[in-house]
Amino acid sequence: MADVDTPQADELAKEESAPARRSGKPTMQVKVYAPFKVYFEGEASSVSAVNATGPFDVLPRHHNFLCMLVPCNLAIVSPAGNKTIKISRALMHVKADSVVVFMDV
Amino acid sequence: MRRPLQIKAEEDSVRSVVSLTSALETLSSMQIAKTKNKVLISNQFFDEVWNIYKQIRVDVMFNFGRKIDEKPIEKELLILITAKAGLSGDIDNRLIKKVVDHYDETKNDVLVIGHHGALKLKQAHIDHTYYFDLPEHDYINVDPLMDITRKYAKSRIFYQHYISLSQQDIKDVDLSEVVSSKGRTADLSTVGKDLVTEKTYIFEPSSYQVAAYLENSILRLTISQFIYDSRLAQVASRFKAMSAAKERSIANAAELRLEFNRAKRNLVDTRLKESLAGLKKIRAGGA
Repeated sequence: MADVDTPQADELAKEESAPARRSGKPTMQVKVYAPFKVYFEGEASSVSAVNATGPFDVLPRHHNFLCMLVPCNLAIVSPAGNKTIKISRALMHVKADSVVVFMDV
Repeated sequence: MRRPLQIKAEEDSVRSVVSLTSALETLSSMQIAKTKNKVLISNQFFDEVWNIYKQIRVDVMFNFGRKIDEKPIEKELLILITAKAGLSGDIDNRLIKKVVDHYDETKNDVLVIGHHGALKLKQAHIDHTYYFDLPEHDYINVDPLMDITRKYAKSRIFYQHYISLSQQDIKDVDLSEVVSSKGRTADLSTVGKDLVTEKTYIFEPSSYQVAAYLENSILRLTISQFIYDSRLAQVASRFKAMSAAKERSIANAAELRLEFNRAKRNLVDTRLKESLAGLKKIRAGGA
């Protein structure tokens, strides 16, 4: 009987928790929306914005994060192309490679 | 009996009422579809924000975003969400009736949203303290309303709730109760590992500031949701009223048509009788 490589359980778990990849770059799910309009929804490799502490970037595998954004340009680097969204008031929630920006709240 | 021409003129005017109510009914039905769709879309957004709020505000009393040393007015503010104009059926009258039953001049101040409600309130001999037009656009800026709400110890909101196309209800809720109840539902056993705490999350600028901001956001969203719900109930009530008016005017037009035919036949009969009588006279004279 030929030897077959079977991945160990912890390796499988690592794979499951690893961020999704698009053309070799890890990505995360991003959604930027207001009650009646979705500004962006899809995969992105980074999200940059500004809060009261200063400018910051969110990359895949970021720690759980909840913050208030100050008026700024939210920059999204995505495999489909980069996008900039003007923000006046928003809340950002980051959890398990999912970034949700609630606009106008 | 009225002359046929008079009846015909009245029937024509009733037929134009039928066309008008029919057009308004179609318009209301289109507005219902549009508003309902918007309410459904916005609900998803509201639910997600509620969900975060539930997990972060587990043991803090809701205080309308007031500072600790801020003394509120010891009165209950009654917030009424009504239509901007008439043609909404009896829904505003029902809301005003409920407010009148609850109102106590010494304990309440009144804030009215919507011109129609302000007029009806005046007719009920109650003066409003604050007034806002009912917002027409999708994005509702409720900040001026929140600034007023914050001044009061308690706020009760009277709004119109959409149940179905044929049924709309009038509801009143304590605003602080409805917001804080969302926080209370999030006890440790229900939120489990999803709990948003300083141990599991990074907060910026700080956990307290984020929680205070979220509290204001929730109040803002709650008021907006009530306004959207009332708008939907109002267009549904208008549709109901227009359908009833159309049916009534169709029945009126049918009755007038019957009356017109009777009057016309009566006129013909009278003329025929007159002709026969004349003929008899001529024959009698000739003989």
